[in-house]
Amino acid sequence: MTASATGHDGADSIDCRRIDLSVSISAIATGFNPALQRVPSVDTVSCPLDIRPDFVPSWKPRRLPIRCIGLTLPDGAEFLPSAPPAQRPDRSRTRPDRHCSGEKQQASRPKRTRVKPPPGAVSLQDRLFYLLQPPLETWLAGQELIMPFEPFPYQYEGIAWLFARHSALLADEMGLGKTMQTITGIRLLLRAGQVRRVLLICPKPLIPNWQREFRLWAEELPVVTVEGTSARRRLLWTMPGASILIANYELMTRDLPDIPEEERPSFDLLVLDEAQRIKNRDSRTAQVARSISRRRSWALTGTPIENRPEELASLFEFINVIPRRAAPDLRQLAKLADEHILRRTKDLVMTDMPPRIDRDAELSLTDAQEAAYRTAEKEGVIQLNELGDAITVQHVFELVLRLKQITNFDPLTGESTKLERLTADMNEIAACGGKAILFSQWTRTLDWLAERLQPFGPLIYHGGVPTRQREPILERFRNDPQAHLLLMSYGTGAVGLNLQFAGYVFLFDRWWNPAVEDQAINRAHRIGQKNPVIVTRFICAGTIEERIDRVLREKRELFETILGDGEESSASLTLNADEIFGLFDLKARGQNGARPIGPSRAA
Amino acid sequence: MPENTSSEQLRIGFLAALEAEGRGYVGGLLVTSRTGRPLEFQCTTPVRPDRTQEILYGRALRPWLLGELIGGTLLDRVSIKPDLVIVRDPDMLELRNHTEIPVACLDDSDSPDAATPSVGGRRLYFHRDHTSDSDFVSSRAHLVPGQADLEEPLERVQEALTETIRTVLAR
Repeated sequence: MTASATGHDGADSIDCRRIDLSVSISAIATGFNPALQRVPSVDTVSCPLDIRPDFVPSWKPRRLPIRCIGLTLPDGAEFLPSAPPAQRPDRSRTRPDRHCSGEKQQASRPKRTRVKPPPGAVSLQDRLFYLLQPPLETWLAGQELIMPFEPFPYQYEGIAWLFARHSALLADEMGLGKTMQTITGIRLLLRAGQVRRVLLICPKPLIPNWQREFRLWAEELPVVTVEGTSARRRLLWTMPGASILIANYELMTRDLPDIPEEERPSFDLLVLDEAQRIKNRDSRTAQVARSISRRRSWALTGTPIENRPEELASLFEFINVIPRRAAPDLRQLAKLADEHILRRTKDLVMTDMPPRIDRDAELSLTDAQEAAYRTAEKEGVIQLNELGDAITVQHVFELVLRLKQITNFDPLTGESTKLERLTADMNEIAACGGKAILFSQWTRTLDWLAERLQPFGPLIYHGGVPTRQREPILERFRNDPQAHLLLMSYGTGAVGLNLQFAGYVFLFDRWWNPAVEDQAINRAHRIGQKNPVIVTRFICAGTIEERIDRVLREKRELFETILGDGEESSASLTLNADEIFGLFDLKARGQNGARPIGPSRAA
Repeated sequence: MPENTSSEQLRIGFLAALEAEGRGYVGGLLVTSRTGRPLEFQCTTPVRPDRTQEILYGRALRPWLLGELIGGTLLDRVSIKPDLVIVRDPDMLELRNHTEIPVACLDDSDSPDAATPSVGGRRLYFHRDHTSDSDFVSSRAHLVPGQADLEEPLERVQEALTETIRTVLAR
């Protein structure tokens, strides 16, 4: 807008003009803008209220499909629907017994030993069977199975290990309770319905021991011993009702092959005690043992290797973990041992067991013994040398035995440095009311000693004593306060017996194999022993005994070096022919002078 | 109330579940004698709720899944019916709403209610709508050995479930 102005006197006048400032905007005809300016039109639609709302999508709670995997355990069989009808609820309010107090709820939980599935259990149900078993401590806590004594933790582990295995070699050191672990393992397997018929083979002298241990640890189990006439034994072998049969190796070897194949008994479990008896896989005993039809095979021995690692192969063949005639190398044997052998030593598990105190009594021969010994040795060596290449190990062996007998006592005068020392020791032991076991390899020596040690009430236990008299002898030694000394032969008394009430062991002469000596010593140094066991080895200085002892020590050290696991008791290599020859400086005289003679050159 | 109430018999069911990574829950029920000997075991294959169920069940999902669904299925499935079911997971108490069998949960609290019954050295508590189960359990508590540990069988169930999952996954 503009303006012009004019005054009253006609002077300047203001002139106003209108200027239009509005700007015209032209909108693009999109069609939207007019719509924005349009007044919305409102209309009503009638809606019937009696129609149910529809939900899309629809959803209904549904049960998810579930598949189950089930396992009824043997103990559950009696509770299956065919079981007797259940009774009405007893609603009477009963006060929980005091043992059920919740006070221990927060207490530290006791140790539990669980059964683990064996490596060979492949199927899920097999594995679950073992996993679902209660801890052994609960199982054996007295509600179902009465245990006379609380087992040691390592024994629980051994039982659990045996329970889960079809093939087992229990090789615990002597005295750690292989017998009890085996009996309890059998008991649990019977209880769990895993076995019904068990055969236990052991050396003949150990049968009373097994009978006694079964009565102690599993009194409810019927045990039948195979004995008597041939006809009676045949009846016992084939009797279907017997849960547990005990027989000795000789009867097993003699009787079973004579039974027609279709009548031969089969067993759910075959246990070989002192299983080193089958270390030679070609022996008749080993062959018969392997031929017995069974589902589980357990071998028990404190000395799985007595001489050569290959002996293990025979045991592995028996427990069915290697094929027939297989010859595993050392690496394979070690792997098999890891899987199928359970071995514990006293050092590892019985830290609170009284110690075994070994002392070598180095004695000087009496004059009469010395004279007899030197004469016998001189003459013996001369005779051996004269044999030249015709010499055999048996010839040398005979001389060794003769000399060892002289170190025990002089056959002419009866003088004995060992007897003098023994009498002195026994005076002390008897004065304190103690008991001692003496081992010798000769029954003649034992009889000779018995005559001279009457003040100590000696009892004799060797192969010449009828079997039925043996157990009463042990009972008397155990209970008679006047019986201070038990004279035993290595062959009869070294294995399986429980004599832990004796605190002293004398090795009157040395055995060829330290493992046998260890077994003998462990009759006394075993579970239940409350005092240190003092072991006295009599060694006559400057004699064959000293030489044998040196060789055995060297071999033991070598064995430990190879195994490297500190298993002293496995250092059980016996003397071989070379070493027996080496005890003497044998030389054959020929045209070119003297030359050494030995087994490789002997006929 | 359970059928088997003979004065000297008590069969105990131990119910537990574990979550299999990415596969849902696996449940197991072990029926034992009063001394803990296993009688029967049943376990499920993995059960996984879908997303819709997770949303709609909300906090009720676990009780539904573990108690009603898994627990109920297992209880139906076992041939040997327990007289009492022990659980450790409180959500599993939901099972009691779907069965006549008493269901008890182990009381792990530091100061357990003195009124709760004790069995085998462990205090138990019950579903709030079924507190009368306490009477039944009290009347049977003397049948369980004092040295028994009611938690131990649940560990067996856990181990068995782990083994089952491992085996199933390996197939």
